[in-house]
Amino acid sequence: MNKFAGTCVTAALAVALSMGTALASPYERFAGTTIVVSWPAMTHFAAAEKLVDEFTEETGIEVEFDTLQYLALRDRQLLEMSKPRGDYDVVSWVVMWKGEYVTKGLLTPLSQFFADPTLVDPDYDIDDIADAYLQNGGVVGGEKGYLAGKSGALYGIPFGAETSFLAYREDIFAEQGLEPPRTYDELLVVLDRLKAAGIPAMTSRGATGHQVTAAWLMHLAPLGGRIFDEAWNPTFNDTAGVKAAEVLREVVRTGPVGIPAFGLGEASAAFLQGDAAMYLDTIKIAAQVRDPNLSRVDGLVGYALHPVGDRCGAETGGFALGIPANSQNQQAAFLFIQYMTSKLGDQRIVELGGDPIRMSTLEANVGNFAEYQTVLEQLPCADADWRPLIPEYNELNVDILGQALTEIITTDSPIQPIMDAAVEKARAMMERAGYYAWNDYRAAAN
Amino acid sequence: MPASVQSAGAEPAQPAPRRRRFVLTPYFFVAPAVAIMALGLVYPVLQAFYLALYDWKVGTSLANAPFVGLAHFQRLLSDPDVMESLWVTLRFGFWTISLEMVLGIGLALLLERPIRGASFFRTVFILPLMISPVVVGLIWRYLFDARIGWINYYLGFIGIEPQVWLGDPQLAFFAIVVTDIWQWTPFIFIIVIAGLQALPSEVIEASRIDGANWWQQVFLVKLPMISSILVIALLMRLIDVFRALEVMYIMTGGGPGRSTELLSLHIYNRAFATQQLGYASAIAVLLILVVSAFSLLILRLGNPMRGKSNI
Repeated sequence: MNKFAGTCVTAALAVALSMGTALASPYERFAGTTIVVSWPAMTHFAAAEKLVDEFTEETGIEVEFDTLQYLALRDRQLLEMSKPRGDYDVVSWVVMWKGEYVTKGLLTPLSQFFADPTLVDPDYDIDDIADAYLQNGGVVGGEKGYLAGKSGALYGIPFGAETSFLAYREDIFAEQGLEPPRTYDELLVVLDRLKAAGIPAMTSRGATGHQVTAAWLMHLAPLGGRIFDEAWNPTFNDTAGVKAAEVLREVVRTGPVGIPAFGLGEASAAFLQGDAAMYLDTIKIAAQVRDPNLSRVDGLVGYALHPVGDRCGAETGGFALGIPANSQNQQAAFLFIQYMTSKLGDQRIVELGGDPIRMSTLEANVGNFAEYQTVLEQLPCADADWRPLIPEYNELNVDILGQALTEIITTDSPIQPIMDAAVEKARAMMERAGYYAWNDYRAAAN
Repeated sequence: MPASVQSAGAEPAQPAPRRRRFVLTPYFFVAPAVAIMALGLVYPVLQAFYLALYDWKVGTSLANAPFVGLAHFQRLLSDPDVMESLWVTLRFGFWTISLEMVLGIGLALLLERPIRGASFFRTVFILPLMISPVVVGLIWRYLFDARIGWINYYLGFIGIEPQVWLGDPQLAFFAIVVTDIWQWTPFIFIIVIAGLQALPSEVIEASRIDGANWWQQVFLVKLPMISSILVIALLMRLIDVFRALEVMYIMTGGGPGRSTELLSLHIYNRAFATQQLGYASAIAVLLILVVSAFSLLILRLGNPMRGKSNI
């Protein structure tokens, strides 16, 4: 009798457990886990933080944030990720750091999670994420080391990603009888016309280092330039590079007072406060235009495509989310990233004031946001290769180009010698980093 | 005849030299301080020198970093960027320290006298000293802002066009000098006024009775008597100038170009922005040598321990 009772109880438990397994949430095993997320203090991320309660309710995973100013993230993340056991489970990097992070072995590839049916949501649809964003923010490898290709791998999902377009003051343009410029030639004419009318023409970043380099790069790609050729020779002192610098100098000359000290915040503020007629930079300006706490120009702004030079081109940038190699909660971290970048998450973030990464979200909201149609038209031109995201990029960005371009916009010195000197510095940096090692070896062998 | 009695003409007996006893006790007293200094100062300096021998990047293991010997030291001596930052630091130090000394001493001389409201003014003058450098950087960054800054706003009233204070190399340098003077003049003020108030009133009174006017009292009596204090103030400001980083980091980031990039900020940028920790360590060693050389020079020229001072 006892044996029979025991068998019944065991069978009942087994049935109950198997039913439980069948009905259990895939998140159940993560309940009570706490993950730590390192990301920037920016509007998009502030919007995303409002979703965390919903994420915790659904998954049982608690989330803590370490929020820093965006350019200060890297130092902190590098220190945390280089420990044997890091404090961060999710890091959000500015796309230009991805090559460095991967080269140093600090990130874990995401394919292991996307291949795990217990983790990946079948409705996630990664193909719906804008291709330029995904390549720019998340893929490391390929022939160049920072783009898709046979040796490429996915390390991050874009989040708070961006491209560029032209925002302009419809009222000023109508008053002056101007059309938004479609080409760089037209842009230069409009800059002069506005300056002649006593209106600061276009705001721009200009502060030494990353900011002024970003501003110049914004013009380099559409004007047909690249920083390196296929053999990693720096080429930015060519016609296109010098022309882009001339355009930047003209923007500073005709723009609002103070551009050489402007970071992204100051450049945006000049447009939002009505001190400039144009803004050619990240699409994130549109959400700020609508924010009454930031903007005096809501209802006065129109959006147009990034002007075309030798080719159409727009920046790709912003952030991506990934998982440090030393995270102790990698699967829970993946679930967080998946939740935030899912179709539902993307739509919810848009509703909360953030920027979408998915084509379906953009298309579904064209009627709700004035700029989305322009973004959809701009994305095919968004250039994931507008700057080389190699591990040495930060030195090039801050120390070499960032210095040379400051000299260009703060003096009247001839541009060509400044760019030539910067190219020599870039070549020395690439030499030191070993980019020509194989060339030298082959040359010596022959 | 007692042995001690000597005949006339003989050499007087020299007392036998006393053997100096080695006394250990004082070393026990200074041992904790030496240990703390060794841990807190000597070890980091040696560690910086050790790191300078490797080409180490943040986020990688030092064990895998290539050993480069003295190559970083060789490189920095011909690195125009390092030399430019060193030159900026020296210019910055010259202008800030000299102006702060003049202003601080001047203010102290004005406020040492029993005037009405002196304690209120003293409190107001030392307020900048109590503010964190990061906040100072933010305050002055916005004051100097070309578009929304108060400085351009008020200059507009007297017909001066808005200036790009932080976007022009000369103006940006001027801006950081002004900011530093604003923050650190009170430090000189406090030290000097403390010294002046500790002066014996009899000496001042005697000089007055002897007919010395105010200028003579200041330059011939008061300042010489507090010279040791002035040397200490100078030394401390010098060391501070070479350490200064936060205000420039916040206000200008070292730009435009390298016009406000002090050597300390250059080291930070090399270490973290361009990831050359080994090279940054070599520059840090250079910084230590420069500061030590200047400190020794100041102490040699006006060593407060020589006892010349009466304070």
